[in-house]
Amino acid sequence: MTLRLGLLIHIAAKHLLMRRRQTLVATSGVAVGVGFFLAVSALMVGSQADFIKTLIDTAPHIIIYDERRSPPPQPGVAAFGAEGAAVQLHGYKVRTEVRGIKDWQAILREVDRIPGAIGSPSLSGAVTLRVGGREEGLGVIGIDPSIETRVSTISDKLRTGSLIDLERVQGGVIIGEDQAQRLALGMGDIVAATSSRGGTRNLKIVGLFKRGQMQLGSGSGYMLLREAQSLLGRPFVINRIGVKLADPYSAQDVAKTLEQRYFYKAESWQERSADFLGLLLTRNVIMYSVVSAILLVASFGIYTAVSNSVADKRRDIAILRSIGFSQGDLQLIFVMEGMALALVGVVLGWALGFGLMSVLGSLEFPIQGDVQRLPLDRSSRQYLIAAAASLAAGAFAAWLPARKAAQVDPVDILRGAV
Amino acid sequence: MNVDEGAAPVLVAEQLGRDLPGDPPVTLVKDADLAIEPGKFTAIVGPSGCGKSSLLYLLGLIDRPTSGRLLLDGREVTPLSGDERARIRLERFGFVFQFHFLLPEFTALENVMLPIRRLGRLSLPEAEARARELLGSVGLGDKVLKSPDRLSGGERQRVAIARALANDPVLVLGDEPTGNLDSVNSARVVDLFRDLAHKQGRAVVCVTHDPGIAELADIRVSMLDGRISEVLRQG
Repeated sequence: MTLRLGLLIHIAAKHLLMRRRQTLVATSGVAVGVGFFLAVSALMVGSQADFIKTLIDTAPHIIIYDERRSPPPQPGVAAFGAEGAAVQLHGYKVRTEVRGIKDWQAILREVDRIPGAIGSPSLSGAVTLRVGGREEGLGVIGIDPSIETRVSTISDKLRTGSLIDLERVQGGVIIGEDQAQRLALGMGDIVAATSSRGGTRNLKIVGLFKRGQMQLGSGSGYMLLREAQSLLGRPFVINRIGVKLADPYSAQDVAKTLEQRYFYKAESWQERSADFLGLLLTRNVIMYSVVSAILLVASFGIYTAVSNSVADKRRDIAILRSIGFSQGDLQLIFVMEGMALALVGVVLGWALGFGLMSVLGSLEFPIQGDVQRLPLDRSSRQYLIAAAASLAAGAFAAWLPARKAAQVDPVDILRGAV
Repeated sequence: MNVDEGAAPVLVAEQLGRDLPGDPPVTLVKDADLAIEPGKFTAIVGPSGCGKSSLLYLLGLIDRPTSGRLLLDGREVTPLSGDERARIRLERFGFVFQFHFLLPEFTALENVMLPIRRLGRLSLPEAEARARELLGSVGLGDKVLKSPDRLSGGERQRVAIARALANDPVLVLGDEPTGNLDSVNSARVVDLFRDLAHKQGRAVVCVTHDPGIAELADIRVSMLDGRISEVLRQG
C-alpha cells in the first residue's frame, strides 16, 4: 500500500517538476492568499481584541445606577391598583423619590461575595467651575481612589498627577487637560466650584487627564467621594457602583442577577456597547468574505494547474491505465498534485504572512503624542486555519479535474494515436 | 519447442463483438471466435479499419465487448469491474504499442519499473534489479538511465517491450509494434516477439499490416470488415 502511494507520489511529483512555470504560478497564488489571510486576520482579530479590551477596561464591567428601568408604582397605586379603583382619594400627595442608591453597602457586600469581583461606589453630580470671570460646567465624580483604580483604568489616562493625590490634598480635583486649557489652569492652581445646591468650595488641580478619552468626555473630573458628597450637599449618598469582574464575559449574567435583586438598573459592558459589538460582527463578516475570496482565487490557480496537467497527460493516463493502473490510482495522482501545490503554497504563505506581520508590527503611529503600534494577533491558530482552508480548497479544486483523469478512456487515446 | 496442439489456450473469445453507440451503431468487431495459445506467436492482419486493433483492445481487457464472452484460463472475465480488469492487465498482460508510449519524465529504467512497483510484490531494489535485467535482455543494458527522448525509435520500442515483460505476463499484446520502425529495428523487434513465444512460452498476439511479419507468425488471423475471415496455422 505504501509502495503504491510512493509510486503515485513519484509520478505526481514528476508531473509538477516538468511544468515548473505553472507549478510556480499555482503555488504563489496559494502563498499570496495564505500570506494576506494571515496579515489581514491578524490585524482584524488583534484590533478586535484590542477594541473589546478598551471597551471592557476603560469603564467598569457593570455599572449600577440609582435609577430603575421602569419607575416603582406610587404607594397609592400599589394599594388600590392603577385603574378601575372604587376609591377616590383627596389631597393625595405624590411621594418624592430621594435620588441615590439606598442600602448600597448591602450591594457592595453582595458584589464582594462573587470571587474576584470588586465594587467601587461613587457619586456624580454637576458643579460649575469659576476662574477669573470664566465659567465652565464640570461633571464631578466622587470616588475612593484606592478602590477605583482596581475597577477601571482611569489612572492610565492621566497625563500628570495621580489618583492617590486626591487623598493627600484637601479639595483635590483631577480634570481633563483640554478643559484646564480653556480655563487657563495648571497643576496646583486653585479653582472655585459651585454646586447646584449653592455650596461653594475651592478646589486644587492635582492631576490632568489626557485629551481624547472617549469614556471621560472633556467635562468630567474626579474628586474624593467624601469631598464630592459634601460639595454636592449629599452626605453619605452614592448614585453609582462600578463593578469589575474576574471574567468580563459573565458581566451580562451578573448584572441581571443584581438588577433582579436590588431593582437598580445594572448595565453590563455588553449592553452599554451593543452597537459596537454589532459593528464588530459586520467587520468579521466582511473580513471572512474577503479572505474566502482570496483563498477561492488561489484554488482557481490549483484547478487550472491540475486540469492543464490532466489535459497534457491524457496519453500518459492511457499508458498507465493500459499497464494496469486503476481509475483510483489516476485520480489520486492528480489530487495529490493539487494537494502538493497547496502544501507548498501554504508553507510559502506562512513565511509571507510572517513577514507581512513583522512589517505591520514594526509600524509606529503617533496619535495624540503617544506612539501606537497596530494590535496584531499572531497566534498559531491563524496559521492553522489558513493551512486547513487552503488544503481543503486545494483538494477540492484538484479533485474536479482528477475525476476527469480517472474517466479518460484509454481506448480513445490509443485509437487516436494509431 | 513444442508448438503442437494440446496446450490449453490462455484466452478464448466466443462470438465477441463491439459496437459503438450511435444511429446507426458502428460495428468495430463482430462475432469473433478466437483462441490464443501459449507458446505461439499469433498475428492479426487485415486492411486498415478492419477492426484488428479493436479486437486487440478487447482481448487485452482495455475495452469492453458489447456482445459475446471472453474467457481467461477458462474463467469468464467479461463481467469483471474496471479495477479487476486493471488488476489482470497489471499481473498477467503486457502491452506494446505502435508509438513507444513511454512516460517522458521517467528514465528507461523507471519506465520499466512502473508496473513492478505498482504490483508491489518486489522491494524497490529488487524491482530495480529486475528492470535492469529486462533492459539487458533487450540489449539496452548500457542505456538504463537515459530518458526516452535520448533514445532512438528502436531503442524506445525495446524499452516498451521490457516494460511489457516487467511482471512476467502470460500474454503479450502488440499493436503495430514495428509500425514506426525501419527494417533493421523492425526485424529485431519481431525476433524478440518470436522468442517471447517460442523460448519463454508466452502467448503473443500482434496486430500488424506488415506481410513480412505475418509470414513469421505461427497463427495468422485475417480480418475483414470487423469479422475474422481466416485463421491460418503456419510453419
